Amino acid sequence: MKQFKFIVGALGVWLLCCTAMAETVTETPTLTVATWGGAYETAQREVMFDAFSAETGVEIRTVAYNGGMDVLQRESVPDVVDMLEADAHLGCGTGALHPFDATTLLDASDGTAPQQDFLPGALLKCGVAHLSFSTLVAFDERAFPGEKPRHIADFFDTTRFPGKRALRKEPSAILEWALLAEGVPRSQVYNLLSTDRGMRLALRRLDTLRGQIVWWSDPDKPAELLADGTVVMASGYNGRFFNAQLNGTPLVMMWDAQIVDRDVWVIPRQTTGQQLDYAKQFVRFATRADLLAELAERIPYGPTRRSAFERIGLHPNAGIPMADHLPTAAYHLRSALFRDTHWYARTAKLRQQRFAEWLAQGE
Amino acid sequence: MQTRNIPYIVAYRFIVLFVMATALGVVVSLTAIAFIECVSWLNNILLIAPHARVQVLVQQPWLLIAATLLVPTLGGLLVGLMLQKISPSKRPLGPPDAVWAVQLRQPLPSFRAGVVSTVAAIVSLGCGASVGQYGPMVYLGSMAGNQLARLKLQIPNLASVAMACGVAAAIATAFNAPIAGLIFAHEVILRHYSLQAFAPTTVASVTGYFMANVVFERPPLFLVEFAGVTHGYEFMLFALMGVICGFLAVGFMKLILRAPKVAQATGLPPMFRPAAAGFVLGLVALGLPDVLGIGQEVLRFATIEGAFAHWELALLVVAKILVTAMCVGFGFAGGVFSPSLLIGILFGALFWMVLNFFGVPNSGIAVYAICGMMALTSPVIGAPLTTILIVFELTRNYDLTIAAMVGVVFANLLTYRLFGRSLFDVQLASRGLNLSLGRDRGLLENAKVIDQKIDKSPVILGPEQDASAAQQALVAAGRAEAIIIDEKGLYQGVVRLQDTQEYSDTAVMHICDKAWPSFTENTSIWQAMLDLEDFVGEAIPVVQSTTGELIGTVTEASLINAYLSAVHDLRREENEAV
Repeated sequence: MKQFKFIVGALGVWLLCCTAMAETVTETPTLTVATWGGAYETAQREVMFDAFSAETGVEIRTVAYNGGMDVLQRESVPDVVDMLEADAHLGCGTGALHPFDATTLLDASDGTAPQQDFLPGALLKCGVAHLSFSTLVAFDERAFPGEKPRHIADFFDTTRFPGKRALRKEPSAILEWALLAEGVPRSQVYNLLSTDRGMRLALRRLDTLRGQIVWWSDPDKPAELLADGTVVMASGYNGRFFNAQLNGTPLVMMWDAQIVDRDVWVIPRQTTGQQLDYAKQFVRFATRADLLAELAERIPYGPTRRSAFERIGLHPNAGIPMADHLPTAAYHLRSALFRDTHWYARTAKLRQQRFAEWLAQGE
Repeated sequence: MQTRNIPYIVAYRFIVLFVMATALGVVVSLTAIAFIECVSWLNNILLIAPHARVQVLVQQPWLLIAATLLVPTLGGLLVGLMLQKISPSKRPLGPPDAVWAVQLRQPLPSFRAGVVSTVAAIVSLGCGASVGQYGPMVYLGSMAGNQLARLKLQIPNLASVAMACGVAAAIATAFNAPIAGLIFAHEVILRHYSLQAFAPTTVASVTGYFMANVVFERPPLFLVEFAGVTHGYEFMLFALMGVICGFLAVGFMKLILRAPKVAQATGLPPMFRPAAAGFVLGLVALGLPDVLGIGQEVLRFATIEGAFAHWELALLVVAKILVTAMCVGFGFAGGVFSPSLLIGILFGALFWMVLNFFGVPNSGIAVYAICGMMALTSPVIGAPLTTILIVFELTRNYDLTIAAMVGVVFANLLTYRLFGRSLFDVQLASRGLNLSLGRDRGLLENAKVIDQKIDKSPVILGPEQDASAAQQALVAAGRAEAIIIDEKGLYQGVVRLQDTQEYSDTAVMHICDKAWPSFTENTSIWQAMLDLEDFVGEAIPVVQSTTGELIGTVTEASLINAYLSAVHDLRREENEAV
């Protein structure tokens, strides 16, 4: 059975490659962009991909991407990748990405230079951070009709809040949450996780959930798992959860201990020649303040340009003022943790190793 | 008191003290923040901080090992070179030097020595030496005060007040704790609570706090959640822990005092001692990285249940005591405050684990950890009030403060009996400033007889002159006592006028009063007053201690005057307003 699945999968990939080749043969200029699918990609498509094609005649074809560095090792590497900031640092460090020249970005409409307009730290060596998103915990309202989970420690408390938890199968947010649940102040989380003892403590906290975890890797999954009642709490991205709420899923986001991170446009080394020009053109286009604001109106990810904040209005269908739903809204930041992405990049191997050991223990 | 009638002098002093305190608050706070930032920057680039260490752990493990061994060693070498080659005082300076200067109203060691000591402390801490950062910061504060007090501002006690202001601002900045800063300056440095010092110190303290907290938004040092003590008997446990912490503190301080002797016994020249200690520290840190540096992470872990096993805590307590004594004793520049905090908090956690092991219901690890931390630290620095207030200001938790308070006083009581008021005071006592009976004795022991009015031309006789000649000389000079000096000019004794009347033909040498007291150039007023308890006479000879030559005589009246004016000065300082 497994073998059969594999063959079908391989056939699928082969077919996909063929169609891709077929497209290049037709010589319509195309830019491949690796991005995260689902509601997020839909919003990107509506706001910037189609507009870019209309303006330049370059078609945008998206390829699915769920984070990590594997994308740079694929057979056909996409021209542009919408990467997590930590991954961008990592790729930059190994020389897998083109260095980024911030002067190629467009000024704000009032003429403010990008260096002043972008938030501190948004202009990276090998890319430009274009939005802030939040990794947080949401719970199924139906599962807890009485007392609601409010603190991140409640996520680990299966006595007061019984039921399965959905988690991304990565040693990321869960480590921070485990220590925050121990009462560690936000400012010390990464310092403590840097020690062997801290890592052990975090994984020990995770032990309390062993057997209760449903792992996910597709970012749309957590909302689905909550909707169909498989789990009662789930980690996920605020934009997806918001979208699920709009679609009627009775979930509530627990903003306590939300982890704020950024998405970065990067151009892999393999992108060369004409494609590189298209890629640069695309990044310049996609980081326009008006488009970032429009994107935030469709999915609540905060723009990284100051000039974009003033433009954020209502959700086009639901008519909700979207500025209130951004991870960077003042009342969401009270207990927010900003991800230390440099630390993340440099500890990737270590974290993977410890996480794999922890997973193996449970088998 | 006189100033009450002269309002403009009061106004002048008021304004000058206020401006001085504010200026000191700003300057000291900025330098203290710079100090902390430099240390943390060094810790990061030199792979001492865990946050930096973990980032090379997988990719370059050999680099981590090399850094662990070499950074403290080379840092130690640099510290040794700086202190021995550039610093005039050839040793790191700390709170005892500030206490010395304030209590004896003497200037601090030279500015250069202070700067070198401060830089040496930054290097020591930056390279992971197991020493504290608050001692050097306290000295930094007193140094700033001392510099400012050199302006001739015509205000009594200005130097002491300015140094106290600097110290208060340093502590207020370092701990984000203005009340603790204020109390520390009085409890440890000034040792009195005059309004004249209290008011400016408060201003400096608040300014320091404002700079650290509002302008720079530095995060609070230690946030702990604690709901309250749940069982009444736990206060007995806190007291018990205080007593045990007292014993630990005594052991720790005795080791610190012993370590320099061990260092001397190794035969290493002082310049290379810190490097040797650094290397040993590196070796220990290979197996036990928690001993490196200030240990912010360890402090936090100690308040988390299950972060350490029993044996780990016990091992770390012992290791930290030993490496700290070694680092301080072998000449790294730095204090003992932060290591004490660490040892105390680890011991507190251990105490809690033992309780838990025996199934004693309790209020959780945090309160025991904090109580242990403060109970061990307060006797080391000799500041029970300050430590209680630090807990209060750091944690803003009333219940925690009350619990810690109980531990603190018991630890202090015990340590005072077994050792002394604090490490600083015992160190000062060994240098000749005994503050155990208050400030009077300390000051009087360091005021010398030789500095009083010395009569350089008393009536002098040769040993073979006869009594009648002596009588004539005394009557002619209107004196009651003559000094006998031999042909080499050496002091032989004193002959009194009434004795010369009985034995008119005898050589004065035979009728001299052998029991007559005499002083040397080293005799303190304190000692002199003790010697004069049964004395009836006019003047006491002062003799060169090395040669035995007579320097002159000092009258009893001038000694009593010196005594009274010293005591009077102290009382006036302690009751001074503006």
